[in-house]
Amino acid sequence: MPASLLANRLGAFVQLAELTRGNLGRTQLMKLCYFLQAFRRVPLGYYFTLYAYGPFDSDVLSDLQTAESMDVLHTEIEYYPGGYKYDIRPGEKAGRSKGSAEDFLATHKKDIEWVAAKFGSRLAADLELLSTIAFVNQEEEIRDRDELIERVKLVKPHFSRRQIGREFDWLSGEKLLN
Amino acid sequence: MSDRVTCEIRCPIHGFIGLNEWENRIIDHPAFQRLRRIRQLAWTDYVYPSAMHTRFEHSLGVMHVASLLYDSVVSTSSRVLKQVYGYNDLGLTRDRQKVRLAALLHDVGHSPFSHGSEELFPEKPASEADVSGPSRKAKHFRHEDYSVGLIRDVFRAVIDDDDWNRRNYGITADEVAAIIEGNPKAGPALFWRDLLSGQLDADRMDYLLRDSHHIGVNYGRYDLHRLVSTVRAFGEPEGGDSTRDLKAPRIGISSGGWNAAEALILARYSMHKQVYFHKTRIAYDIHLRYAMESMLPQGKYPSPTREGLADYLKWDDWRILGMLGGGAGGEHGKRLLTRNHYRLVYQTRENPRNFEEFESAEAELKSVNKALGDLVVARKTCVNNWYKHGSVDIPVQNERNPDDVRPLSDYSSLLRGFTSSDQELLYVTPESAAAAKQIVSGVLKKDHSPQIKMDFTGGKRKDIANAS
Repeated sequence: MPASLLANRLGAFVQLAELTRGNLGRTQLMKLCYFLQAFRRVPLGYYFTLYAYGPFDSDVLSDLQTAESMDVLHTEIEYYPGGYKYDIRPGEKAGRSKGSAEDFLATHKKDIEWVAAKFGSRLAADLELLSTIAFVNQEEEIRDRDELIERVKLVKPHFSRRQIGREFDWLSGEKLLN
Repeated sequence: MSDRVTCEIRCPIHGFIGLNEWENRIIDHPAFQRLRRIRQLAWTDYVYPSAMHTRFEHSLGVMHVASLLYDSVVSTSSRVLKQVYGYNDLGLTRDRQKVRLAALLHDVGHSPFSHGSEELFPEKPASEADVSGPSRKAKHFRHEDYSVGLIRDVFRAVIDDDDWNRRNYGITADEVAAIIEGNPKAGPALFWRDLLSGQLDADRMDYLLRDSHHIGVNYGRYDLHRLVSTVRAFGEPEGGDSTRDLKAPRIGISSGGWNAAEALILARYSMHKQVYFHKTRIAYDIHLRYAMESMLPQGKYPSPTREGLADYLKWDDWRILGMLGGGAGGEHGKRLLTRNHYRLVYQTRENPRNFEEFESAEAELKSVNKALGDLVVARKTCVNNWYKHGSVDIPVQNERNPDDVRPLSDYSSLLRGFTSSDQELLYVTPESAAAAKQIVSGVLKKDHSPQIKMDFTGGKRKDIANAS
């Protein structure tokens, strides 16, 4: 991967961590990167495919690890009964990382701020559902509300049709669906 | 006929691999038999002479391991599967067959010599490449695109039209392809995609053991059966608030399997360092790529369309070897025939320890590249995907306290310390290697940063900072 692409990705991670401080776990980071590409056409160069937990590219986690090893980001794990979650925050070298991606961040500052504002406070389960709806809409080119709800329901049966429909309507109202 | 095992194939890794009659008919298909003529590890036999095994046996092995994993998850986690996905026993039996077929057919789209010439896959039409925004990887077709294309086209008759399948399962080629490509049409079966391409997948579980066996190294070994017996599905509450919707279930392990999971990841690391990223092996990927480019019409493989796939299937190792033996492939064909490969003269360090080292490694690469100029005939990037942070993120459930779920990295201090980054490799011709090495030595002498550098006097690597 060109060094400039990695620098741009890490710069975007830092900016997302700053804007969503306290609410950026791994699922959130994955889905926010997906939204940056899918909704704002930000050239992060990830290739997302669909899993039961929504669009995913393991390169996002690989880059996160690189960022952690360079002190660009710092991650803590929080435990709770039956699970755990990650808390990703800017690290000591966050500023330098942003400096390495200065031009990229200047170009896409508004895109990153927009994604953080729209989705940054959502829970991981919500983001899994929202990104799956967006993926099915874009990749399968399903635009009909009922048809799309049924398709998403097949992949994520633990969500009710009402829940899926509510998120579909929200995305649709934001003019984010095709 | 039933779906009971009617045929067993002997396997050096798993003993016997059982097949039902339907699977046997699929394996007999010429497009599957072609995998007998696609080597698993390309030209690795030029480094490890016994690396002559093929995608055929690997595909059987992946189907076998996927079945073991599937059965284990079902036996340990039927409550989660029934609660979240509404499975009943019939549904689980049907999806087991789908997963077996997806595993069996996941590699049918490989080009000759497996990954060696994948750079020659054509570009996707702009409309497809732009679906998820500009993406470096999505610009070109991948072997998975050929696999799902072949399943939907060439294998459709032996899947959709198979009498026994129609009477019993009604599984379609589209359903099998959807699991492999990550298509929402897979429905609940998408959950099982992790067993084919995920943190604990049957693909890597098989190839590590198989490649180790055939090459004659022990790096790739780990305790498969312990790992399989501890695999399970977790329904994860959101942030501990059980009143919220569940995140989608994940595949994880019980705590009894964490050593086996750690060993799997270490095996992957070692195999990449010692085998897959071996400098000479990579040199032959370069030669194959350029030789193939001169042999393929317009220098590219056909696209995975109906017409293109028919042509694509005609390309296999035997055809390439015949062409090379007849003198095709130009300079690179000759180098392949005579084992006269490009030489590695410089590589960036594997793991920069901090931001400064990362930046200095980039600067050093630029200096070396500039000093070498036209002597550099090939540059390769080793994408260190042998280890993904996600791999260490495998959820581990305490056997004594089911509420205690932690990531694997919490158990393994070894894995906690792992970092990775891509490595850049610069190659020159053997004829210019001596001159190039002198130039690189000159550049590195000027740079006193604590980098791992090539020690050309002894031909081995040493840490300059520690040595001085």
